[in-house]
Amino acid sequence: MQLTRPLAGALLSGVLASMTPLTAAAQGIPIGHLTDFSGPTADVGGPYGQGVADTIAYINRQGGIAGRKLDHETVDYSYQVPRAISAYKNWSGRVVAIQGWGTADTEALVGFITKDKIPYYSASYAATLTDPVGGSKADKATPYNFFYGPSYSDAARGMVQWAADDWKKRGGQGKPRYVHMGANHPYPNSPKAAAEEYARQLGFEVLPPIQFALTPGDYTAQCLTLRQSGANYAYLGNTAGSNISVLKSCQTVGVQVQFLGNVWGMDENAMKAAGSAANNVVYPVRTSAIWTGNAPGLAMVKEISRISDPSGNAYRASHYLAAVCSTLYMKEAMEWAAANGGITGENIRRGMYARTNWVPKGTEGVCKPSTWTATDHRSLLQLDLYRAEVKDAGEGSIAALIAKGAIQMKPIATIDLPRRKEWLGW
Amino acid sequence: MTMDGTLLVQLLLSGLIVGALYGVVAMCFVLIYKASQVVNFAQGEFMLIGAWACWWLLVKFQLPFFAGFLITLAFMMAFGLILQIVVLKPLIGEPIISVIMVTIGLSIFFQALMKWLFGVSAQPFPPVFATSDVNLLGLQVRTVYVMSTLISIGIMAAFAWFFKYSRMGLAMRATAFNQQVAQSLGISVRQVFALAWGISAMVSALAGVVVGVVNGVSPALSFFGIKVFPAVILGGLDSIVGAVVGGLVIGVLENLAHYVDSQFLRWGNLYEIAPFYVLILILMVRPYGLFGTKDIERV
Amino acid sequence: MAATIALRPCGDFKTSYASDQTVFPTKLSLAFCVAGVALLCLAPLFLGKYGLSLLVQIGYLGIAALGLNILVGFTGQISIGHAVFFGFGAFASAFISNKLGVPVFFAVPLAGVATTAVGLLFGVPAARLKGLYLAIATLAAQFILQDFFARAGWFTGGVAGTPAKSFSVFGHELAGDHQYFYVVLAYVVLMYLAAANLMRTRDGRALVAIRDHYLSAEMMGINLTKYRTLSFGFAAFYAGTGGALYAHYLGFVSVEGFDILFSIQFLAMVIIGGLGSIMGTLMGTAFMVMLPEVMGGLAKMLSGSAIDRLLSLNEGIVFLREMTIGAVIVLFLIFEPDGLAHRWRQIRAYWKLYPFSH
Repeated sequence: MQLTRPLAGALLSGVLASMTPLTAAAQGIPIGHLTDFSGPTADVGGPYGQGVADTIAYINRQGGIAGRKLDHETVDYSYQVPRAISAYKNWSGRVVAIQGWGTADTEALVGFITKDKIPYYSASYAATLTDPVGGSKADKATPYNFFYGPSYSDAARGMVQWAADDWKKRGGQGKPRYVHMGANHPYPNSPKAAAEEYARQLGFEVLPPIQFALTPGDYTAQCLTLRQSGANYAYLGNTAGSNISVLKSCQTVGVQVQFLGNVWGMDENAMKAAGSAANNVVYPVRTSAIWTGNAPGLAMVKEISRISDPSGNAYRASHYLAAVCSTLYMKEAMEWAAANGGITGENIRRGMYARTNWVPKGTEGVCKPSTWTATDHRSLLQLDLYRAEVKDAGEGSIAALIAKGAIQMKPIATIDLPRRKEWLGW
Repeated sequence: MTMDGTLLVQLLLSGLIVGALYGVVAMCFVLIYKASQVVNFAQGEFMLIGAWACWWLLVKFQLPFFAGFLITLAFMMAFGLILQIVVLKPLIGEPIISVIMVTIGLSIFFQALMKWLFGVSAQPFPPVFATSDVNLLGLQVRTVYVMSTLISIGIMAAFAWFFKYSRMGLAMRATAFNQQVAQSLGISVRQVFALAWGISAMVSALAGVVVGVVNGVSPALSFFGIKVFPAVILGGLDSIVGAVVGGLVIGVLENLAHYVDSQFLRWGNLYEIAPFYVLILILMVRPYGLFGTKDIERV
Repeated sequence: MAATIALRPCGDFKTSYASDQTVFPTKLSLAFCVAGVALLCLAPLFLGKYGLSLLVQIGYLGIAALGLNILVGFTGQISIGHAVFFGFGAFASAFISNKLGVPVFFAVPLAGVATTAVGLLFGVPAARLKGLYLAIATLAAQFILQDFFARAGWFTGGVAGTPAKSFSVFGHELAGDHQYFYVVLAYVVLMYLAAANLMRTRDGRALVAIRDHYLSAEMMGINLTKYRTLSFGFAAFYAGTGGALYAHYLGFVSVEGFDILFSIQFLAMVIIGGLGSIMGTLMGTAFMVMLPEVMGGLAKMLSGSAIDRLLSLNEGIVFLREMTIGAVIVLFLIFEPDGLAHRWRQIRAYWKLYPFSH
């Protein structure tokens, strides 16, 4: 029993600590922050969560919002739904907004936040979250879900549009062939129907989708099928880990196809891990500039980055920049709310509708002009497409590889999608 | 049709190569089960630890591949031994399901430890072979897979010799058959268990390194461990030969299912699901797997 | 069902079958149980949303875990596919209440029945398979049903998931943690009593006989196939009911989240709680639900403190948290492989003979 006493003490304090409410500093604005730093999506959740945390610290350093500091609590829920639910229940009744993360937590909490009227800024860009009134194919009304960036479906449609132009530019003969590759899972399936439908409209021959799992493995079979089917454009719908495997398998097998990536499935880290297999992959970027780009807004982003990286040497992935934008939109909506009735969930939501073609102050050239309306939460219908140019250069940090020229990201197009009413929600 | 014929042959070849890898991991799994009756849910994590260890040696110390690889094997052997002694020995005699839960707990522990030590992003393996792929029957195959197939065959042969002719191997078989009788004959059951875990860890590391060389090392590598279950059950839980056959069958089956699906059925997910359907069918016909020993029940 | 004696005697002095078959062994234990439920009824007055949500989670997960315990602990089978039955119940309840217009009050038990049908289907291989071979058949069920969920848009809403209506009794809506808590509490009490009752009936004894020595059971005339399949049916019924309660709590069911890791968590709840013990299941569920919360709280306390700076842990704290969860499971099982129920019995026995316990 001797040893168990301190152990019991530790456990008890843990229980009490877990139930400690957000220590509201005098007039602090409580917000919640869900991240995945240690779970299956940690490779992209890390940079994104860091971006949100740094931006909040930066906002506080600049004096906060209307004189009040942001009081945020970060919970790493490791992509496990029950933990997200408990974290939310701990916050509910106190927080006025939540910076969320992926599909798991966003979907689990969508009912709660709608009822409790708490704006939820997710990093899940599922099109089913873009309909605030209901009635579209989304089959549910999500008036309190916001995200910065094109939805997965719109990003896929954008790439299909680029593919159509690219085919003409290449002088391709006949109908180009499009194929969707991904796992049978909500994340890769999210844009499938939309992209295939749009591809048909634009004159593609849509081949039957090719399945591959979300875990790394050997995908020679899929690559052989891909080669045999004669596809010209293949959309990789999975997350980075398995996309890397497919790219490598297809490089070995020798497949000649234009790969199209997705927002979370192709980034600088994936390029480093895949090496030359990732060469020529076209992928979407949510911001107008990347870390190594040139834009007036990047100065502010670099300042924000210095909060967690005083040396200024860290390379920030595209996810970091998107997180900065997402948090700054929340901040400006809160500023509007403070001037129009107080910072509550409902007012923050109304604040999101207050501006059109909105770029947060100081981020010109980084955050794209976005518009949210009470009937349409598709804030962004423009995306930049980049082409990855990667040579095998082995080891080194991403910054070093980019400096060496082994990893290059060339912007190739900016796609503007039409805002079609029938595209809302799917 | 000839185009499809070549495709089929290539798929079969690819299936056999990957199946050999499944077979290797399945063998490790069966080894532990045979010796100590434990279902090791942490097999995937053994692969992961081996892959990260090798990567670290190659990248941090710039060692040539074979040196790093051999050191990794030695390290994993020691790791398996220590793990068995520290964690699993106290559980000898406890209900098997508790031990299974312990291996699950270990897998959670090691996953988190690896993420802490090596980060959460995928890392590429430094180039190992001068030529990265080789042409076999018209199919480009990665050299590392050829290496792994050769090593797998070597390991299978070594295991076969070990269990049939060496003293330790016979001791292991005796322990698996009946612990108490083996003990009464002077076999140190503790040593047998420890050795079984050590060898299993070591061979898993080989598979882990191969997967790491092909796909890069990432925390998701441990999911390979779950893929192995159908292979093990198909072949019979207590048969090493069965594990190998099971692995090959599953590898070929996955690819065949994909072929059938993409050519004719167009359902979409046959690649992942087919092994399970086939498994259930085979288990209905042969409840102990293809090579498993039937439990002869006497009252 | 009524207990006839107040305290537990040091021997077996029962003189009638009725007294031998009581659900509660002594009057005192019945009293404690009633008091416990009464105390829980008062919980919404004291606990906030957070505490209540934890209790609600323990509730619906505990119901599903009880099903698994009937299967694993009482019948000696094994299942690594429990999460998909839970998920099937969730989807079924949402489907029944949305598409078929059945009120949620009836949709929940109907979802349980629907899940039972699916469970019976997967229980058929159980007739011939034993031990770990059976485990793989359930693993196959896990993957096959998961694939079905992702595919069957008409049933699960596919990618978009499906919303679930909130619980209502005779038009009076019971939404929000404070009210839904009572719904879950009622279901927990009902299902646990039903399980306890099952174990004292002929069928329950048959299940236990199969676990203990199935050859003798078969010789005594117990139809192994029937009871093994039935056991799967029970497990599925409980899982489906738990899943339905989950669906109406969240208001939305998504395909994500019913994966093999979730199945393994159910297994952990049952094993840590104690196989073959009904009360143990609830304890095991509480343990598995509270463990990440407690660890999260400790991690929060630790970050930024002196120890953090000393060992320069920083981001390592989250990994340390996950490692500790795994280590706690391992250590717990090394020191108490028979689960919390067994430890509880030991503690009770210690205090019963205090100060003369040995």
